[in-house]
Amino acid sequence: MLTVLRLMLREEYRMHVAYSSPRVFFSMPAYVFFIALFFASTLPLMEDSIPIADILLFTNAGIFVYGLSVGAFGFLGKTYLERRYGRNNFLVAMPFLMPFTFRNAYASMYLRDVIFYVVLILVPGLAGVLMSTLVADYRLASVVVAFVAVLLSFLLGISFSFFASVLYLRSKTAFVAIMLAFVAAVVAYGALSLFPLQYLLPSWGFQANLRPLGDDVGAASIYLVVSLLATAIMASMAVLTVREAPLGRTAKVRESYPRYHEAFRSARSLQALLAKEFSDMARSGGVSKILLAYIVPLLLLSFTTWYVNNGLAIPVGFNTVFYAAMVGSFGIMLYSWIANQDAVDYLETLPVSVPQVIKAKLSAFFLLTLVISTLFVVGIALVNDETRLLWLALPVLYITSAFMVLATAYLTGLSPNSVLFNPSVMTRFMIISLLPDLGITILSFSLDSNPVFAVAGIALVCFALLTSAFFFYRGLEVKYAHAGFQ
Amino acid sequence: MPAISVRELSKDYGSKLALDRVTFDVEEGTFFGCFGPNGAGKSTLLRILTGQIQPTSGEAKVLGLDCATQGLEIKRAIGIVPEVESPPSYLTAWEFLYFTGKVRKVDDLEGRIDRWLDFFDLQEAKGTLCRDLSKGMRQKVMLASAFIHEPKLLFLDEAFINLDPIYQKRLREYLLQLRSEGRTIFLCSHILEIAQRLCQEVIVLDKGRLVARESMTDLVRKGESLEQLFLRLVEGGNAHSP
Repeated sequence: MLTVLRLMLREEYRMHVAYSSPRVFFSMPAYVFFIALFFASTLPLMEDSIPIADILLFTNAGIFVYGLSVGAFGFLGKTYLERRYGRNNFLVAMPFLMPFTFRNAYASMYLRDVIFYVVLILVPGLAGVLMSTLVADYRLASVVVAFVAVLLSFLLGISFSFFASVLYLRSKTAFVAIMLAFVAAVVAYGALSLFPLQYLLPSWGFQANLRPLGDDVGAASIYLVVSLLATAIMASMAVLTVREAPLGRTAKVRESYPRYHEAFRSARSLQALLAKEFSDMARSGGVSKILLAYIVPLLLLSFTTWYVNNGLAIPVGFNTVFYAAMVGSFGIMLYSWIANQDAVDYLETLPVSVPQVIKAKLSAFFLLTLVISTLFVVGIALVNDETRLLWLALPVLYITSAFMVLATAYLTGLSPNSVLFNPSVMTRFMIISLLPDLGITILSFSLDSNPVFAVAGIALVCFALLTSAFFFYRGLEVKYAHAGFQ
Repeated sequence: MPAISVRELSKDYGSKLALDRVTFDVEEGTFFGCFGPNGAGKSTLLRILTGQIQPTSGEAKVLGLDCATQGLEIKRAIGIVPEVESPPSYLTAWEFLYFTGKVRKVDDLEGRIDRWLDFFDLQEAKGTLCRDLSKGMRQKVMLASAFIHEPKLLFLDEAFINLDPIYQKRLREYLLQLRSEGRTIFLCSHILEIAQRLCQEVIVLDKGRLVARESMTDLVRKGESLEQLFLRLVEGGNAHSP
């Protein structure tokens, strides 16, 4: 297994380098290092307004979610094994040809991801925080404790995700049951306060019982052991229950593409491509994945704002306009899902261009999100008794959605996942996406105190976003005019 | 006007030179073969000619259209069978042909789909998602997709790979019929026995350079087979029978 693991690590490195270049790849840990160094160095300045406990809590929760996303590759299941993404073949599919089992391959894949992302992200982050001790007054022992806690959070996240992936492939019912149990546990902690967070995220128990937040080594040790045990159990169950030779099923399906084609008659030159997007979504189970990619951030956003207002008792004026801007920015993930539904190399044989395919995916995005986003924002307005703000919130929603998804499409084309690994693209993307969101967020907070100023400011930002979105749309034709599908 | 015209065409991938100042013409109605060892530049040439990638320098025209700037127009006029059989995962064989036909705005689409499903004996599998088809069946679907609009110029990259002898024969006969109708076919292949029976003109590429251009008539007159020519040029005359 060590040989397979070593080769898989090399393969993962080469795959990332293929997205950009070795120089760009190695700038990723450097990027993480400098961000960690910056935040850790400036943290003492913010300590009066944001307590260290909250920062550590959000770091652990964030890394747990990151672990969940890293481990989610298993959801691609058969697609992943067949390597239908372009012309790549990967070692995880080698048990079809080589004398080792899928169980062995899956275990190696798990260890590969743990090692790869710990080395790529967590260790550079630790190095940045360690470096900050030159200017900030942190105890070395506290930094080590914080790193161990974050590492445990990552391991819990990735292990849970691997386990859930196997369940998803083996039994949709079992998968739904475990996800419902997980959501119930989150609600029981977050909304009903039935138990403390450490019961849900034991790594937080480890952190909370050691300095600077506590001083109970015994309790911390118990949470350490529980975290490691939970990680080992979930990872082992994932490996033991993974199906051997999972490519046996060949099902006939009813023709549905012509119906989609007929339904999108008004899409003219995009008709055939748009129909395929929706057909793919229905066949690949993409609708549920896409909804999950949209609804989970919405729930996280709702929980975070609730936590800030109630848990931290900070009276921030989150209103419907703020939510509208945030929901608009979730479009990136959705576009990413739509862009990755299927390999596109066969399109090389047909008279279609990359800009046309991007536009079809954008159209699919708008058709999908229009209803969900509108319902969410209207729902938030009703719950908060703010229907008077809908006249402003809905245009903000549509304009930020259009801006974000067009910016993503312009920057990343048909490979949003891979291109966003490129730090230079990611930096441009973050600047493009964060600045307008920040502007609308700050302005939305002053809607009650200074409505004329706030509305004028939001209108100005929206105008700028709309203009930029228009240029991004026009720019697609130029930027991808000669791009290929491989 | 030649169907394909290539002048001083070069393509590099960074430090690797895939094509080195290649020049040749293909007259309309010719069954044209392009051969060479692995990595000789055949697929790169085919991808430039079909507007999939841009050349680094030189000029290539297909049906009078510039490959560097009119890729979409070229793809409208031709049929392509790519090196890797990769129809879309979530469409059935029937749906993929329907999709292709709609993109290409083909008349009497359902009739044509039926004809090609019959030709390749795919009626049984027409409701199966392409990702669940065998390699051979996927290859048949890609072939049907390239033929459905009856183009006057076909580019075939290893079109016979994955097909069993029955369908190799059937495909060979169909291509000969196209040749007799005056259509142009550009074939890249490693199966030299089949190529020998089909091609009228051939070129051999090695390390990105055009090392030979022959008509099959001349080759036969010299008493040399395509395989012998290939081995003589690529192995530097060291070819010998077992």
